[in-house]
Order: sequence, then C-alpha cells, then structure tokens
Amino acid sequence: MIKIVKRDQPSRAIFFFTPVLAIFLTLVAGGLIFFILGFKPFEALKFFFIVPIADKYGFSELLLKATPLCLIAIGLSFCFKSNNWNIGAEGQLTFGAIVSGGVALLFYEQEGFYILPIVILAGAIGGMLYASIPAILKTYFNTNEILVSLMLVYVSKLILDYLVVGPWSNPEGFNFPETRQFSDSAKLPLLFEGLRIHAGIFLALAAVVISWFVFYKTYLGFQMKVSGFSLKTAKYAGYKGKKMIVLVFLISGACAGLAGVGEITGPIGQLHREISPDYGFTAIIVAFLGRLHPVGIIFASLVVAITYLGAETAQIFMQIPKYTGQVFQGMILFFLLASDYLLFFKIKFIGSKK
Amino acid sequence: MNTNLKISNVTKIYPGCVANDNVSLEFNSGKIYALLGENGAGKSTLVKILSGVIIPDEGKIYLNENNLKLNSPLDAKKNDIGMVFQHFNLFETLSVFENLIIDSDEQRESLREKIDTIMKKYNFSIDLDIPILNLSAGQKQKVEIIRCLIRNPKVLIMDEPTSVLTEQETSELFLSLKKFSEEGILIIYITHKLKEVMQLCDEVAVMRRGKLVSVSEIKNENIESLANKMVGQNLKTIKKKKAKTSSDQLIKITNLNFTSEDPFETNLMDINFSVNRGECLGIAGISGNGQSELFQVLSGEIISEKKSIEFNNNYIGDLNPQERREYLMAFSPEDRLEQAAIPQMKIFENVALNNFKSSNFFNNGLINENKIKDHSKKIISDFNVNTDNIELKSQFLSGGNLQKLIIGRELITSPDLLICFNPTWGLDVGAINYIHETLIRINEQNKSIILISTDTDELLKLSDKISVIHKGKLSKIMNAEEVTSEKLGILMGGAN
Ligand SMILES: Nc1ncnc2c1ncn2[C@@H]1O[C@H](COP(=O)(O)OP(=O)(O)OP(=O)(O)O)[C@@H](O)[C@H]1O
Ligand SMILES: [Mg+2]
Repeated sequence: MIKIVKRDQPSRAIFFFTPVLAIFLTLVAGGLIFFILGFKPFEALKFFFIVPIADKYGFSELLLKATPLCLIAIGLSFCFKSNNWNIGAEGQLTFGAIVSGGVALLFYEQEGFYILPIVILAGAIGGMLYASIPAILKTYFNTNEILVSLMLVYVSKLILDYLVVGPWSNPEGFNFPETRQFSDSAKLPLLFEGLRIHAGIFLALAAVVISWFVFYKTYLGFQMKVSGFSLKTAKYAGYKGKKMIVLVFLISGACAGLAGVGEITGPIGQLHREISPDYGFTAIIVAFLGRLHPVGIIFASLVVAITYLGAETAQIFMQIPKYTGQVFQGMILFFLLASDYLLFFKIKFIGSKK
Repeated sequence: MNTNLKISNVTKIYPGCVANDNVSLEFNSGKIYALLGENGAGKSTLVKILSGVIIPDEGKIYLNENNLKLNSPLDAKKNDIGMVFQHFNLFETLSVFENLIIDSDEQRESLREKIDTIMKKYNFSIDLDIPILNLSAGQKQKVEIIRCLIRNPKVLIMDEPTSVLTEQETSELFLSLKKFSEEGILIIYITHKLKEVMQLCDEVAVMRRGKLVSVSEIKNENIESLANKMVGQNLKTIKKKKAKTSSDQLIKITNLNFTSEDPFETNLMDINFSVNRGECLGIAGISGNGQSELFQVLSGEIISEKKSIEFNNNYIGDLNPQERREYLMAFSPEDRLEQAAIPQMKIFENVALNNFKSSNFFNNGLINENKIKDHSKKIISDFNVNTDNIELKSQFLSGGNLQKLIIGRELITSPDLLICFNPTWGLDVGAINYIHETLIRINEQNKSIILISTDTDELLKLSDKISVIHKGKLSKIMNAEEVTSEKLGILMGGAN
C-alpha cells in the first residue's frame, strides 16, 4: 500500500531533487507524446535532446541560448526571492535592446574601444528604466506588478515595431523591418572562429557570481530573504520595504536589458522585429527550475536552452512544428509544480513488513 | 460507557533532543486531566502523538484495550480522538458552517441539525453563516470544539486553550468542559496556568525534559507544589520594590490617532500618555481593543504624525522601527511565529533581525556572521534558551524558548525603553518568573517599560502605572497601588 505522510521539514536534498524529477517526467511525457504522434519515442527524444548538442557547433548554440536565459533568470530571482512578481522581463529585455540599439546606431560605421561599453551600459539602463515603471506604480500607487509588468511587454514590442519599420529602418534596406547593421565596435566579440558563442556569456557568469554574493553575503540579501518569508517581519525589523522593491526591480530590469544587448550586439547585429524568442517568459521557468539559486539557475538555463535547439532540429529532421519546444517548456513547469508536492509530503510504501 | 486511554512506553527522539522519553500514562473518562510541564518538556509532542500528527519512535497507544495505529490526524479522528490545537486551524474567509463541515463526509443538512443540537445543548451561540474572521478568539475556539464534538469524540485534547481567551470566555470554556466530562468524554488539558488546573482538573501529570515525573490528584496539590514539581526546585516569589518615581520623562505621546483602512482593525483615538525613566506603564484590556495597533504605532510599523511621539526630547513619530532602535527603543511583539521571528530561519539569523548600528551585524552592507553568532550564543546562555545549537531553525524551539530568545534579543542591547506585548504568553512558570525578574531588573536600572498585556495578574505585579484600553481609547492613567483586578475588569468591559 502507498501512504502519503507529511514531512517534518523539507530536506535540502529533496529541494534539489524535485527539479531533476520534473525533467525526468518531462522526458517520459514527451516520449509519450511523440509516440502518440507516430514517431519512435527514443529516436525523437534523441533528435530533441542529444543530436542538437552533439558537436562543437551545437554546443556553442546551447551556450548561446542559455546565456540570455541565465542572465534574465538571475535577475528575476532577486524579485521572486523577495515576493515581487515581475512577469515582464521580456519587455525589459526589449526595451533594453531598443535603447542600446539606438545608441549603437548613433555610432554607425564608427570605431573605438569605448563604443561597446557604452552600448552595453545603455541596455542595462534601458532595462532598468522599463522595470522601474511597475516598481514605482506598485510602491506608490498600490498597483499589481504582475499586470503592469506583463502589459508593458506588449507596449515595448509595439515600440520596437514602430522604430524598425519607421524612423530607424535601414535607408538602403528596401523597406525591410530592420535597422542597419551595427559597426563591429558595437558588437560583442565572438569567442571562437566560426561559432556564434560570444562574450555575452561572461556577463551571465558575472551575474551568477554577483548574485550568489549578494544573496548569501550581504545585508541586502538578508533583507530579501526576510521579506520573502514574511513581509510582516520585514516591517517589524524596519527594512525599507519600498526602496527594496524598487531595487530588486531595477536589478532584474538591468539583467533583462543586458540579455537584450547580448542578443542584438551578438548573434543578430541589428534591431529587427523578433529579437527574442520569448526568452523573458521562458526565464521564469528557468528561475523556478533552478530553485532561485544561482548555481541551480546555470543548470536550469542549459536544460531549457536544449528545448529551443531540440525544437529546431526536430522541425528540420522530423517535420514537427518548432512549437513543441514550448510544449516541453510548459511540461517542465507543470511537472516541477507537481513534484513540489514532494517537498511537503513523502510517499511511504508500506505493507511488505508486518 | 467508560473510556480508557493508555499511553505505553512512548518515546520520540529529535536530533539533539528527546522530546518524549519512555512515557506511560493512563486516563479514564469522567475525569479532567491536566498535563503540566516547562516549555519544551514535551507536552505538545505527547498529545500530537495521540492525535496522529506525530508518529512516535517507540511505544503504543491503547483505547479501551485496543492498540491504535495513529499514522495521521484522520486515524485519530476515526478513533474518536479530537484535539483543539494551540493555534486555530480555521479558514478565516469561509463561514462557520463551511469550516465545520469541511472535513466531514456527512450530508450538509443533517450536519446542520446536528450542529444546532450541539449548540443548544451546551449553550453556544454562534451565527453559523458569518465568516470566521468576524469571530472573537473565544468564539473561534468554540468552533474548533464543535468541530470535534460533531464526531462524538471519546477523548478531547486541548493544548493551551486559554492563552487567547478573556477571563469571561475562560470560565465559559470551563463550564462546557465540565459538562463534557460529566457526559463521559475524557478530557486532557494542557496549560501553564496553575490556577486553572486547580479550578478545573481532577488529576495532574507533570512532565520534565521529556520524562513523566509525577501523577497525582489535584486535591493533594496546591499551586506551589505544582510549580515546584514542574521546575524541579522551589520557585522564589518575586515582588517589585516600588520604585522611587523619577520625574524624568522619557517618552510622551500626544494626541495620537490612527485610522485604519482595514475594517477588522481598531482605530486609535486621541491617545495621550507619558512614561518616566525607571517606570513601567501597564496597558490592560481585552484582546482586540486596539492593543496590536497601539503596539505598531509605538514600534514604528505604523508611522504617525512626527510630533505625536516624543522620545528623549526627539520627535520620532515618523520613524520606522529600525530608526527608532537607534534611539534605544526595543520591541517585543505578541506574535512570535509570524512577526517577531521567522520560524524557517536559523536562530542566529533571527537574532540579526534586531540590528543596531553599534552591534555591527552588518559592516558596509556585508553580513558579519561571526559577530551575529557570538551575540546569539550570549543570548542563549544569558536567557536560558534550552539549546546550544544556534544553527537550529527556530521553528524547532518550543514556544517558550522562542519567546526567551526574542525577549533576550531585545534586552541584550540594554535599551532605554522596552515595549512588549504579552511577553509571557504561553510560557511556563519558571520562564515567566525569569522574564518578570528581568523586566523588574530593567526598571531598577532606571530604564522604562510599556507593558501591553491581557494578563491582569502580570500587569498588577509589574506596573507602576496602569491604564486600560477599550475600543481604541485609553482610560485615565492610574497609580498601580490604587488599582485592583476587579476595577481593571470593570474598565476593560468599557465602563467609566
Ligand atoms: N521537529 C523537531 N526537531 C527538533 N526538535 C524538536 C522538533 N519538534 C519539537 N522539538 C523539541 O522537542 C521538545 C519538546 O517540544 P514540545 O513542543 O512538545 O514542548 P511543550 O512541552 O509543548 O512546550 P511549550 O510549553 O513551550 O509549548 C522541545 O525541546 C523542542 O525544541
Ligand atoms: Mg506546546
């Protein structure tokens, strides 16, 4: 017989085991879906998860996709740890990209070592500005940050649309909705000849290290932890709640903005309509899959990045629509939430011993 | 029919602590049993084992000679064991009726009849269709009791039921319990209030450090003998020397008002008082009359007009708690688990919640863990918190030990003014004595206290001046010598 018993205390091991279980269940369910669709499950899963990263190029692509996911998720973890539900990282990414793209276009066909830092900084500032809107509305007007940040995503996408079609579109571009290519000085350097992986990965790694330090070693991190557990206690302790809300949104916006910079000054090299395949939304899954822990987020971003690549290979080799990638992302989140049940309850098998 | 409940050689071991050490006890219906013991003695653990919440490492439970398998609270319910926990387990926004039927599989209509009969029989009058959040603590507890009674329990266990009740509500509860007992329900009653034990119970079992140390009949005991059994030594009776009242004013509240947007909070109206150095001002009142709002206004969780609070010649009404601490104020809230401490965090992390600049817990924005840990160890030894592991999550401290930790955390910084709200709530006699002594000592060191409490005895023992809060208004401030508990009772009821 199976019995479900409440746990006295969720152990640390189970805390990191459930994400692994969720990934496993996702694979099983994915295999099942492939089977129902008439594919051989193991072969399909192989195309999805192994073939794409089997060579050097694939591996570089994996890191390329994991970079923005990791960066954004790190930023989001600041918000989520302190009970601030920023859902609009995609908008902050887009707006960061717009600002840094605008600056990069100012330096069109110019050279200089100073250009790239300015462009990067502009992206971070753009993301912060955009994240400050829900933050300030929340702190001073009691609006709900989930709605505001989410709706601002669509605003930012429309602004981008307007810019690349209208004022910023490439004069020699036959009315394609895109800007001119940025000058080389405004682009992130590639790490290896012939591979697309670029220096943006260092931004992500820096974010991981810094966030680990902030979470576990600083007063700010301590205050975030307390606020995450109980806002009442944070108030009693006298933490400046409003300032902290704004701050975590700014950090999160900066990270998303940097992810935007990484995309347009890395693999893309210009602004156009589709600079992000919803990295900002997918990163929410990454943040939770990684348990809001810096190291966890690294692994989670790699796992979720595969679903992007897998969807592409599956489309090419098996004529499966690439939206299966999103199906997999959805399943990961679904199974993660479901297996979190194990955090609070354990399953006991009884009956064999008398 | 007679009910016989037997606990046989029950042991429950937690890492670093034996909560129940080979406990054997026998209960028979028709009597009311008291279970006494210091904080952390293992009382809650034992009754949680009886109600299926905790599974013992060893030992057996027999009900009328049947060996019970209690693997979950449901098993206990099925075996007619009902328990009312120290903290209410009710859904605040659901109606009384919905709360009552939530764990039952009977028909709604037949249940309503059943509930009506129960309420008539025991003279409970509660509107079944209003949400729980509109009920007083006493009424909420009745709802919990009805929830047990629906299942016709043979055993009813109550874990510190009176700590949230007014005196009136307590005597009503006692009447009901006596009635239940006459009808053959076996009652096990946990409390720290020895007066109640003498009033209510027939037999008393005392635990100390997980072990059962004595079982005896109430008629052979008195309050002192029980206290001594619990603590294992004679308790000194403490008494406050009436201080030479200084006229050196420390804090002055002028025309302070607070209007809440929340309909379930109490508005404060035109609060005026002052406290001198070395003085203890007691604020009495039935819970829910604005004490919690007053506490928050004084601590800075609710910010008020700058000039409404003057502390040591500074206007501080607009400062938050952290800023007020720098003026040497300290605060000990009533709610230990949701406000004063974070149960999921470690002991030393909880210590860092009270952060003076001078304690250097955080230097240049970085956590100074060694400093916090040293400080925590000092609190634990100075205030007798019964653990030596500062890495323990504070949820595993018993209620009393958590309270010692919090009071210790506030006092070790030697503040000029301590504002505390029900500081001995749920503590054992030894711990209460200890905290009372500490509070008296603070006054002797010429430091001041504002003591908001629902315990009249405590107020009369510790205060130099007393005022009563009723519906958000303070009565005039009286000298403690002129006040009797009867007079307080009348004022608490709202008379002038
Ligand atoms: N999950 C746990 N892990 C470790 N220790 C625990 C745990 N639960 C309880 N304890 C310890 O077991 C002991 C007994 O706790 P219990 O709650 O039974 O005490 P109590 O007699 O009810 O005290 P109080 O009067 O303060 O409520 C305490 O020392 C407590 O710290
Ligand atoms: Mg207890």
